[in-house]
Amino acid sequence: MATAESDSRLIERVGRGDREAFEQLYKRFARPVLAMALRQLGDNGRAEDAAQETFAAVWRSAKSYKAERGTASAWLYAVARHAIIDRARQKREPAAEAADEADVRAGPAERAEESWLTWRVHSALELLPERERVVIELAYWSGLSQTEIASYLDVPLGTVKTRTRTGLARLAGLLEEVRA
Amino acid sequence: MSDTPDFRELVGEDLTPEEELELARVDSLLRSVPAPVTEVPGSLTRAVERIGTATPIWTRRRVLVAVGLAATLAAIFFGTGRWLDRGFDARATVQMRAGKSTPDASGKIELGKRDEATGNWKMRLVVDGLPHLAGNEYYVLWLAKNGEYAGACGTFNVNGRTTVDLTASYDLSEYDAWVITRVGQDSPWLLSAET
Repeated sequence: MATAESDSRLIERVGRGDREAFEQLYKRFARPVLAMALRQLGDNGRAEDAAQETFAAVWRSAKSYKAERGTASAWLYAVARHAIIDRARQKREPAAEAADEADVRAGPAERAEESWLTWRVHSALELLPERERVVIELAYWSGLSQTEIASYLDVPLGTVKTRTRTGLARLAGLLEEVRA
Repeated sequence: MSDTPDFRELVGEDLTPEEELELARVDSLLRSVPAPVTEVPGSLTRAVERIGTATPIWTRRRVLVAVGLAATLAAIFFGTGRWLDRGFDARATVQMRAGKSTPDASGKIELGKRDEATGNWKMRLVVDGLPHLAGNEYYVLWLAKNGEYAGACGTFNVNGRTTVDLTASYDLSEYDAWVITRVGQDSPWLLSAET
């Protein structure tokens, strides 16, 4: 991912006790972490607990992160997975068994692949400018047409189209090596 | 309302073949993943804001003394298999110290047996002298390590002397202290004790 170095730098700063870097990292990864926890735990409260534990673990262990061993996104993903599995074990429920319908049909390898893919896409969305991210999320997951999005956001249709296309192009760069 | 976005409607008709290929790849990726969460709860943000904000008060020497003291207490209480009141099978009791902002408060944590199947510790928290919190505010019992919040053990409110049953699944030996704080404020530790 094009921003891996930037994420790495943030984690390294967190490892040195930099609160500002920690807040930036939280803003960037809070939604992907929470989404993954929600999918796998199926409960808002427990997902929130798992997300909190993820960031506590990031704060505690950021100094152990080594950029040469893998991308920052992969490291954060592993930390989040660990926290979510821990939370699932507390209720004696395998983490993946509370997953969504598609996950239930798939085998463990496919589930892991889907989870990683979702993490990459959600993380990339967080790097888009807000105006582009909003129109893309509305287009793909709210069921609104471009005209309806323009009306909903109270902006001209042409603006919605420009933001959508620019956002998709930006995502293409961020997800350069990712295939569905 | 349409069920799925129309790719042509999203990207228009004036793309080069290369651009179209790239945007189609992203379009396919977006269609293959579930929706992200719409917003992050404020309660999570507030909880995360507190991570690492406490002032470290535990020197290595104090931690070693505390661990030794805790081990002694645990040996005493585990050895006698002591049963305390209200039917709670307490195997050890940890007395909490009041912080500067709550000099009249007191508290203790009774540790029950660890459930072998789940790994959960049963705990009974007894606190006195903390004010009742109105609105959406509440207290949090934390496990702390190196002076930082490391694991939340539960939330509660009080009304006079209050007893709360909680559970935690953490390996207690990995933490230095129990801490009670008030959520939503950068409040100091109200009550604390070595694990």
